[in-house]
Amino acid sequence: MEVEMSSETPRAPNARPSGAPGWVAIPAPLARLFKKFPLLTYPPNELPARSPSARDVATLYVFISNEDALRGLPSFNPSCLKWQAFLKLSGIDFRVVSSNNHASPSGALPFLIPPSSANAPSVCTPIASNKLEDYAAQHGTSNVPAAPDFKQETYESFLSYQIRNAWLYALYLSRPNSALLSQLYITPVSASRVVRTTILYQLRHAAETEILKSMGVPAVNSDALYRGAKEAFGALSAVLGSGDWFFGDASPSLFDATVFSYTHLLLDDSLAWEDRALTDIVKRFPNLVQHRDRILQICWGSKT
Amino acid sequence: MALELHVWGPAFGLDSIDPECLGAITCFRRCLPREDWTLIASNDAAVSPDYRLPALNHRGTWTSGYTNIISYLTSSGHLSLDDDLTPLQRADALAYASFLETRGAGLVATSLYVSPRAWADVTRPAYSSLLRFPLTWTVPPALRAAAIARAEHQGIGYLAADVDAEESSSSSNSLAETTTTGFLKLRERLGPSRALQPEHTAAIRLQHFAEDFYSVLDEARGGKKFLLRDYRGPVSVDFLAYGYLQLMRVATPHPILKTVLEKSYARLVDFLDDVQSYGGKQKELVWQEPASSGALGLIGRFAEGSLEAVPGVGDSWGRWRKGGVEKGGGGGGSAKDPSQLIVAAAGAVVSVAALGAMALFKALPPVGASTHRFEPAREKTGLRQFGEIGSILEGLPVWEQPGSLPS
Repeated sequence: MEVEMSSETPRAPNARPSGAPGWVAIPAPLARLFKKFPLLTYPPNELPARSPSARDVATLYVFISNEDALRGLPSFNPSCLKWQAFLKLSGIDFRVVSSNNHASPSGALPFLIPPSSANAPSVCTPIASNKLEDYAAQHGTSNVPAAPDFKQETYESFLSYQIRNAWLYALYLSRPNSALLSQLYITPVSASRVVRTTILYQLRHAAETEILKSMGVPAVNSDALYRGAKEAFGALSAVLGSGDWFFGDASPSLFDATVFSYTHLLLDDSLAWEDRALTDIVKRFPNLVQHRDRILQICWGSKT
Repeated sequence: MALELHVWGPAFGLDSIDPECLGAITCFRRCLPREDWTLIASNDAAVSPDYRLPALNHRGTWTSGYTNIISYLTSSGHLSLDDDLTPLQRADALAYASFLETRGAGLVATSLYVSPRAWADVTRPAYSSLLRFPLTWTVPPALRAAAIARAEHQGIGYLAADVDAEESSSSSNSLAETTTTGFLKLRERLGPSRALQPEHTAAIRLQHFAEDFYSVLDEARGGKKFLLRDYRGPVSVDFLAYGYLQLMRVATPHPILKTVLEKSYARLVDFLDDVQSYGGKQKELVWQEPASSGALGLIGRFAEGSLEAVPGVGDSWGRWRKGGVEKGGGGGGSAKDPSQLIVAAAGAVVSVAALGAMALFKALPPVGASTHRFEPAREKTGLRQFGEIGSILEGLPVWEQPGSLPS
């Protein structure tokens, strides 16, 4: 008996294929039952209310409140506003939709979904912000000066370094502006106090890390940040001079849009800045204020 | 001797290992009377309240960072270097300085700190010769971590490691690459981009970044002798550019920055010579010994550095120790948030508890491990005595041995 038993074991793998049809074949009653499925087919769900209704227009996903998005107003996030203004300046027709980082394929806003035409409905790959300049060059109507000269490249470091760091401090770390911060980024996310506190902590921590990383110093010093921003805005004002646009261009460029994205948000009366240090700095340079008004006029008419 | 300049010490045949310190030393050397200032290679960022070198101590007033030092000296009347610049030139100078501090710092960090080979062969030994013994364990890794963060912020940090990978992969080329299923892996060679190995792409991209950087400085200089003007000598930003460019010329195992600078931008090398030879013959630098902090201070700095390196705790501790977010303006001074200390203390307690739990867990007898039983070997009869094959053969009915059936 023992041998018989053990002789079964090595044979088992061989036995399975030979008996396979018996196992795989579905018994007739079950097969009949399965053939009755699906018993009922529901109509497809309706698309969510916020999903794009008109797909023939490009859609830019930005940080913005839902009401402002419907009216196409400026975003409250500098990097979103920069591209929003730039696309408007280059004459592209698009809608804005309120979104957040989690919705973005690259993890950062803004991104653009180009219009899908009827003959190629599948071509709607999202365009990340670093490709938007090319997109605008291909699809835009007005010619935006592109070729950045060396001077522009050096002045860009003001925007990505001094002004950006001061902005991060003013919005995220400066305690008087907590109310504004939570109004913009925290209240829309959740109603739960625990979630809000966590997000506030995470945002502050991320902003602090970002500042420290870019400056290579171990502590955030607000005086130094504001002093740097003041010097940077002063230098921008000096290089703008009495011209309409930066670096003597005939029409506004991406650089103008980037400067606008900060100056507009600092001068916008609808944002309740409590710590007005940066706002006061910008107001000291009338030509920067006029520059902002000029772009606001072009992109959004007179409404603010 | 009212001005004390604290810097990182000399390395690579240059006066300092840090670009801003090098710029500051060169500027002081050229533009301030020798008897007005002293140079101290303190090699310890903690001497200044901002934890940053170069730092200037003027009768108890501390200023740190190159641009801050220059503006402090200008406003206190020690330095009249930038006085006769037009507003537009002043704006340009600021923009160049900001450009150097972001893009230049990113490139220097990539070539000297991020690249593992350059770090092991060049930079770390240089720091080891600057620092006193136990600090060589804590300070250089912290500096490197900061440099990596900076390079990553510029988006070029990953390139250095990829460039270094060139050697390891070319040396392992004899070992054929296999896929996960064990087949020989063939490189897809469909056009030039596929034929490039990742390390070549990284080298090309790093070269591209370097060319961008140099071309901006080159165009800024144009036909002039210095960045902003021709005859009336350099201004402060020229010395800063000198500091950054000199450190890019350090010979590293993969001297991409050096090669690009010397091959394609020879005019910038001339610029370096012009800055160096400005002001006639070089006066010897007189280094002053840093005030000795004693063995206790040394141990304190070492303990501080080690604590900062503890994962989970070091961050909060460092922020509490170094001021975290300072609120300025309304006389708040530096607000040391006591909650950060609590977080640090809690972190320390939790990590000690975790270590204790781990030790305890290791000491316990293993849970769920298979129990070993030792039995006398079964008597092997029939074909089983021929090992594995034998037992398989014996399983076949053909080899059934009726005799072995129990009766």
